Amino acid sequence: MKGIRRCQYIISLFILFFILVMAILTIKIRTEAKFYISNSDKQILGMVYDRNGGVLFDGTGKGWYEDNFFVDVGNLIGDNKGQMTNTLVAQNLDKLSNYSFSSGAIDDGKAAIYTTLDHNANRAVYNAYGFQKGCAVAYNYKTGEILVCTSLPSLDVTKGYDGIEYFESGTLISKNMYCTVPGSTQKISTVISALEILGTDTLFSKVYNCSGHYTNLNGDTIDCHNWSGHGDQNIQQALENSCNPFFAQLIENSELEINDIIKKYRKLGYAVNDDDMQYIEIDGIRCEKASTTLVDKHEFRTEWGCIGQGDTMVSPIQLMMWQSAIANGTGKMTMPHLIDHVTDVSGDITETAETEFSKQIFSPETAGTVKQMMLTNGTNHYTYSIGGYPLGVKSGTAQVQDGEKENSLLVGFVDDPNKPIAFCIMIEDKNSGFATTEQIARTMLDSIIL
Amino acid sequence: MYINIFLYLISCIFVLLTHSAMLLNVYLHGNTESLTNVIVLATAVILLDFTWFIVMRLFRQRSFAIDFLLILILNMSVIFQSCFGGVHLSVKHYITCIVSLVASKVGFVLCRNHKWLQMQKKYVYMAIGILMVIILTLTGSRSMWIEIGSISIQPSEFIKPLFVLACATSVAEQQNKRKIACFFVVYENFALYGLIMAICLLQWWCRDLGSLPTFMGIFASGFFVRICYPKAKFSKKTLITAGVILLIAVIIALKFAPVYVQERLHADIWNDRSGSGWQQSHALIAIADGGWFGKGAGNGSLHEVFAYENDIVFATISEEWGLIFALVVIFTIIILVSIPLINPPRSYYHATMTAGVCAYFIMQMSLNIFGSCNLIPFTGVTIPFISAGGSSMIASGLMAGMLMASQSPEIKNPPVRRSTQ
Repeated sequence: MKGIRRCQYIISLFILFFILVMAILTIKIRTEAKFYISNSDKQILGMVYDRNGGVLFDGTGKGWYEDNFFVDVGNLIGDNKGQMTNTLVAQNLDKLSNYSFSSGAIDDGKAAIYTTLDHNANRAVYNAYGFQKGCAVAYNYKTGEILVCTSLPSLDVTKGYDGIEYFESGTLISKNMYCTVPGSTQKISTVISALEILGTDTLFSKVYNCSGHYTNLNGDTIDCHNWSGHGDQNIQQALENSCNPFFAQLIENSELEINDIIKKYRKLGYAVNDDDMQYIEIDGIRCEKASTTLVDKHEFRTEWGCIGQGDTMVSPIQLMMWQSAIANGTGKMTMPHLIDHVTDVSGDITETAETEFSKQIFSPETAGTVKQMMLTNGTNHYTYSIGGYPLGVKSGTAQVQDGEKENSLLVGFVDDPNKPIAFCIMIEDKNSGFATTEQIARTMLDSIIL
Repeated sequence: MYINIFLYLISCIFVLLTHSAMLLNVYLHGNTESLTNVIVLATAVILLDFTWFIVMRLFRQRSFAIDFLLILILNMSVIFQSCFGGVHLSVKHYITCIVSLVASKVGFVLCRNHKWLQMQKKYVYMAIGILMVIILTLTGSRSMWIEIGSISIQPSEFIKPLFVLACATSVAEQQNKRKIACFFVVYENFALYGLIMAICLLQWWCRDLGSLPTFMGIFASGFFVRICYPKAKFSKKTLITAGVILLIAVIIALKFAPVYVQERLHADIWNDRSGSGWQQSHALIAIADGGWFGKGAGNGSLHEVFAYENDIVFATISEEWGLIFALVVIFTIIILVSIPLINPPRSYYHATMTAGVCAYFIMQMSLNIFGSCNLIPFTGVTIPFISAGGSSMIASGLMAGMLMASQSPEIKNPPVRRSTQ
């Protein structure tokens, strides 16, 4: 009998194993059913709304909207047609699905994504560009809510993709998510690294002369935008003047070791030399961080990289996030998010965003010092153009296409607890029109209502 | 006749009610072009029910539980298969179900006397050998199918019940250990090891590695019974050693698996929906689309996908009848396999055989369901009694017959052939 019982044990084991895996499978199917449906042509999508309840995407296709109503968010919100994949809708189809395992697909379901975007502000910024191109992004550095995120050229997804081959380059992507040459806005990263290595007192004690150009120890020349030179300057003056020779001499300083600079840059999120590019994920949307080449501090390429040209590339989102670490005074970035909350087919809230912070990328002391430096720069140079806001800013001019064109950048933050906004604005080929980053910043800050 | 007439009638009514409820559901919610189709289907199903209720009484059995479960599952299967893509009786599947029922009784008659079967051991090995030769010679170029007119036969399916018998007949031999050098060995074990290796090679040659886990499952169940015989306990050392060897074998097999197997092992079905993930992704979408309660018989869309009636049949049923009902059907097969737990086999031989049969049923269902739902690589084996396919239905019928035999064995010595001197 014992032998027969042993056979029964084996049968029991087989059956138990099967039932256990069947239970896992059932739970898996139940949990992932929405995802399966979102990969089929059976899905019925819901809506995407802005922070004020305005429509940003209509999955039902039944609504009527005026011409180009969605153009300012077209390449960020996207659609489900498969032409744009790194967009909010494409990456969150399962959340938008008007489907539940119990009731199946429902035409008038209440599945929706409520974003943090302000459609009015976004549209105002989009219009401020006129016929020029570029991108602008702004978020609440206390909560991480992205308020403005527009990129030009763009498209109105309701018009479809007829004539896609004639679309302008960059139409189908939000440029905020992809690396660009940062220009002198990069000097903030260099100041942060120098402060972390040397300390505030030592860095502020450094004075270098600018005669309009500087020849480094390898014999290469770094030019300043001011041909007549800035004379003797400390770090505050050099930052405000955006003086290239000062920063080249700072990098060559014997107290700054290249390995220490590399370490600090990596901490900020740069992929240095052969490192793999790192990404931030914002509600499923993949966003590049930054990269640069730092080999020898006496080498032109390395110095040029620390000034914001050469191999250095940073995404506008990353530039904006560094501003949050400065503005918060903590040295920790506020992680941005686009989705505030999500409702399912029945209208029940299934997920709600929470504010998250990065790990420490620099010390609070450094954050405090850089914050004060940027605020001084804002007060001294931007009170007229962007008046009415306690601003910390740094501008930049990036040479692109082998110096044929110049992009204009402006990064900064508002030091006001009632309007805690960090931003990054970029205008491509700044000489192609009359829009300026200051005008766009002003439009942006005026139109954002918190 | 051992059957209690009251239980017999209750069981008959239960089977009839289940099938009638399903047919009523087909009529009310199904995709029926005309009432005639439903009537034809209902007549065929009820007729088969009644015929089986009568036929089963012709056999002398202690328990008819498996007979009732078998007709319950088979006619459910007829209803499912007849509704895919619109309601009309699937004559081919209906016939294979009848053949499967016949096969079950053949299996029962052949396996009920273990002492007689023990003596026919050499014929079991011979039959396996003949089937292997047939596969090697008569199937197409490195294939597992023999095409005869419009009928395709898969001889490797018939090896499965024979392999169960080979594993079961080897158990009694475990008492006859011979000493070779300082080892006690059983000659027949070597025959079994050789057999499983030959089957592995054959499956590799036929490019049908999908059935290999089923054979390994049957072999493992027999192996675990054998290694402890005649001690009535499991030896931990032996079990751990066997487990480690099995693990190493699996790792080596995965490392050196053919390219097409490697591709399936690493397939991302959602990124390759039009390629290697075609069937699985459609199956999962169909299950999700069907939800708990299904879209109604014949209202599914999965019948447009290749192998909807066998390889991904679980999803096809889920889509039309709902995941709950698909699970109920699978649970019914589990009950069939669990009968030996409630009513223990009467002999050690039959117990070993039931373990092998159980391994077969569970492995086949696991490979089919978990494969089509992307939990494991997709292999394309069948669910016993549910999937369409004659060879598989016959093999499953024979296996069910073995279970019946274990419930109602014939315990008498076979006639002794006297030798004349």
